Amino acid sequence: MSKTAFPVNDLLRRKLQTSLTLISLTTCVASTLFLLLFSDQIGFGITSVAQNTLTIGYSAIFSNFLLFVGILVFTVGAVIASFIAFLMTAQRTRDFGLMKAAGCPNGLVFGYFLTELLLVLFLGCILGVALGFLTDYAVINMSVFQAYQKAPNFWFAPLVFVAFFAFGLIFGLKPLLNAARLSPTAAISPMQYFGLSKGNRFKALSKSRITLKIASRSLFRRQSATVRIVVFLSIVFILLTVSIAGSIIANNTTTTRVEKAVGKDVLLVAHKDMGNQYIALLSKFSGAKEKTDFNYLDSNFAIPDTVLQQLSTVNGIANSDVRLVCKGYIQELMNFTFDPETQATIPIGDNREGDSLIVGVEPEKVISAWFINGRFLKNDNASEAVVGDSIAALMFEMPLFQSFRMQNTTFSIVGVCLDPINNGLVTFVPLKKLESLNNGASPNIVLVQLDSSVNRSSIIIQIQERLANVNSNLVVFDLNRALEKNVGFLGAIWSVVMFLPLFTLVAATLCLIGYLALAIDEQRQEFAVLRVMGTKPKTVVTILAVQSLIVLLSSFAVGISLGVIITLLILMSQPVVTSFTILEIGGWLFAALVGMFLFSLWPAVKFAKKPILKIMS
Amino acid sequence: MTMEPNDSVIYVRSLCKAYQLGESEVEVLKDVNLNVARGKFITICGPSGSGKTTLLNLISGIDRPTSGQVIVLGQDLTIQDEDLLAEFRCDNVGFVFQSYNLVSTLTVAENVAFPMEWSRKPETEIEKRVAELLETVGLQHRADHFPAQLSGGEQQRVAFARALANDPKLILADEPTGNLDTKNGQKITQMLQMLKANGKTIIVATHDPEIIQLADQTLCLEDGRLASPNE
Repeated sequence: MSKTAFPVNDLLRRKLQTSLTLISLTTCVASTLFLLLFSDQIGFGITSVAQNTLTIGYSAIFSNFLLFVGILVFTVGAVIASFIAFLMTAQRTRDFGLMKAAGCPNGLVFGYFLTELLLVLFLGCILGVALGFLTDYAVINMSVFQAYQKAPNFWFAPLVFVAFFAFGLIFGLKPLLNAARLSPTAAISPMQYFGLSKGNRFKALSKSRITLKIASRSLFRRQSATVRIVVFLSIVFILLTVSIAGSIIANNTTTTRVEKAVGKDVLLVAHKDMGNQYIALLSKFSGAKEKTDFNYLDSNFAIPDTVLQQLSTVNGIANSDVRLVCKGYIQELMNFTFDPETQATIPIGDNREGDSLIVGVEPEKVISAWFINGRFLKNDNASEAVVGDSIAALMFEMPLFQSFRMQNTTFSIVGVCLDPINNGLVTFVPLKKLESLNNGASPNIVLVQLDSSVNRSSIIIQIQERLANVNSNLVVFDLNRALEKNVGFLGAIWSVVMFLPLFTLVAATLCLIGYLALAIDEQRQEFAVLRVMGTKPKTVVTILAVQSLIVLLSSFAVGISLGVIITLLILMSQPVVTSFTILEIGGWLFAALVGMFLFSLWPAVKFAKKPILKIMS
Repeated sequence: MTMEPNDSVIYVRSLCKAYQLGESEVEVLKDVNLNVARGKFITICGPSGSGKTTLLNLISGIDRPTSGQVIVLGQDLTIQDEDLLAEFRCDNVGFVFQSYNLVSTLTVAENVAFPMEWSRKPETEIEKRVAELLETVGLQHRADHFPAQLSGGEQQRVAFARALANDPKLILADEPTGNLDTKNGQKITQMLQMLKANGKTIIVATHDPEIIQLADQTLCLEDGRLASPNE
C-alpha cells in the first residue's frame, strides 16, 4: 500500500460520507461566492452603496440586508466547513486507534488522515468556486438583471477558497491532533470517537415512552456533536428567517412605498415629449435613461387651464394633481445648532451644491403619499421644500435642520421623502413659488388619480377625446406600466435575496443527514439489540426521527426568534407587515423545516431496512 | 421419536445456511434437523465457528435460512415479514447474548420494561412485573442505575430479566456465561435451573459444563451438522 493510495482508496471506499462531505462543502462555498459576485455586479455592493440604480434610501435597505445575509452565509459556511471537517475526522478516531494498535507509526496514520482532509477540502472548495461562478452566470443573465451585467470580480474566488480551506483545515486538524495524542485503546473507545461522556446520566423524561427516552438521552449522551449541530442549525435558521422574512417584509415595504410615491391607478397627462421624459425619470429606478439636454420649461409643454376644465367634466376622476417639473441648481446652506450638554454651538453642513429635479406641487392636491421623514409641504407660497432621500444623503448633513438656496431664494427643508423619480435626486417645492421663480412658467404635467372602480380604458379614451379638442400634442400616459416595472424590478431583486440561502439550506440538510448517520453509527449495536428483542424497523426510524426533530425544533425556535428580532428591529424601519405576510413567511419557513426533516430521515429509513445481522456486524 | 410441527416448540427440517464471503460461499449449517418439545432444556456445543450462533439466530427469526424450514411455536419463520417476526420475538422469545447488550441509555428497570412496552402492556402491570423480575435476579436495589454502572455479572442478570419480561415460552441464550467469572457464572446457571423448573423451553449455546449438566439433551454442531455428542 503506497502512502498516497491509501487516502484516495479510503475516500472512495466510504462513498456516502465522502459524497456528503464534498456536496456540503461545495454548496456552502458556492453560496458564499455567488452572494459576493452577485451583490458586486448588481450594484448594491455589500460594502458600498451604488448611486446609479435605486435611490440611496432603497439601496441602503438592500445593502443592509445583503451585508447581513452575506455575514450569515459566510458564518454558516464557516461553521459548516468546520463541522464537516470535524465530523469527517472525529469519526476516524477509531480507525486511527486501530491502525496504531496494528503497529502503524503515529506519524504515518496522521499523514493518511491529513491527506484525506486536504483532498476533500481542496476538491470541495474548487467545486464550490466553479458552482458559485456558474450560478452567478445563470442568475445575472436573467432578463430582469440584463441592465446590470458586468464581468464578475474574480478576486472573490481566491478569497472564498482560502477562507473555507483554512476553516476546514483548522477545525478538521483538531480532532486529528487529539486522536494522535490518544493511546490506541483510548482511540478505539466509543467514549472518544463519539464524544460520549461517561459521567452524563441524563434521566429527564423518565415518565415518557421508551422511544422518546432513548432518543432524548442519546442526544444528551452525544453532547459535543449535538451542541455543534444545534448551534449550526440555529445560525442557518437565523439566516433563513432574515432572508425569507426579511425579503418578504422588505419587498412588501419597499413596494408599498414605491406604489404610494408613484400612485396606483394614476394617469399622466402631458405633452408627449414631456410625458416620455417624466416616465424615463420615473423608470430610471429600474434602468431607464432620460434625455439630458431637455428643456422642461419649453412653452409647448405648458398645460392650459382648459385641460383642467375638460378633465373636471370626466366622471371617475378622483383627483387631479398639477405639477411643474424642471431642473434646478441648489446650494446647501450651512447652519448651526446648540448642544445643551456641551453648551457649544455646532456647525451643520457645508456649502455643497448640485443639480436636482425640481417639482412644484400644490400641497393640498398631491396624490402621492410618500414615506416621509419630517412632514410634507403645507402652504402654497411658503419657502419650504421636501427633498428626496438621495439629495438628502448627498448634499445635507442634517437635512431637517438645514436650508438651501435656489435662484436666490432660501428654502427650509421640512421633510425627506422616498420617491423613485430621478433616483431620489428630487426636490418638491410649492407650485406657486416655483412658478414665480421661473417667470410665471405654467405647470407641465397633470397626474390624474382614477377611482379604483372605473373602467380604465374607457376613461383613457374619454380623456384622450377631450384633450384632442384642446391640444393634439397632449397625450395620456398610463403610469401603472412604469409602476409595474419598478415593482417588478424590486420583486426580482428581493426574490434573489430570498433564495440566496437555498444553497446553505441544502448544505445544512446534508449536515443533518451526516449527524443522523453519526447517531446511527453510535447506536448501531443498541438498535440491533432492540430489533432482536422485538422492536419493529419503524420504531428504529421513530427513535432517529425524534432525535432529528428535537435538534431541528430547538434550532428552529432559537433561529426564528433571533431572525425576527434582527429583521424587524435592526434591518427594517417601519416595516409593512400584514397577516398575509406572516402566513407567507410561516409557510416558507415551515416548508424548509419539513423538507429538512424528511430528507434527514433518509439514512434512518435506509438503516432500518437492513437485516439485523448486518447491523450487528 | 418423530414429532410433527404442531407437537414441537421448535421444528427444524433440512435447514441450510450459507454466507457469501467475497466470491466464495461458506456453508455454515448443512441439512440440520431438530425437534424440541415443550419444556425441554437443550444445550448446543461445538467449536468456535461451528454455527451455534447461526442456529440460534435462525430459530429466533433474526436471520433467514438459505433453504429448509423453521417452525417455532407453530409459526413458519421463513415466510414472515420483518414486522411479524419482530412481534413474534417480542411475545414469544427471550434472547440472552454473551455480551449482555443492554441499552445503555435506559436504566436497569427501563431495560427490563421495554419489551413489555412494545407488547402494549398496561403501565401498572409493567411496573409490577419489573419489580418482580428484578427481585428474582436480585437487583431490585439497582433499578435506577444505568448499565455502565453495573458489573458484568449484574448486567447479564438484567439481560435475563429482560429476556423474561414478556414471559416468553422459548428462551435462547448464546454463551451466557462466556464473559463471566465462576461466581457470576454460577448465578446464571442457577437462573437457568429455575427457568427449567418453571417449564420454559430453553436452548443454550455453551461450553460451560455446569450448564451442560443441567440439560435434558446436548447436541453438538460439527462441520455444520447437528449430532448428539455420543453419536
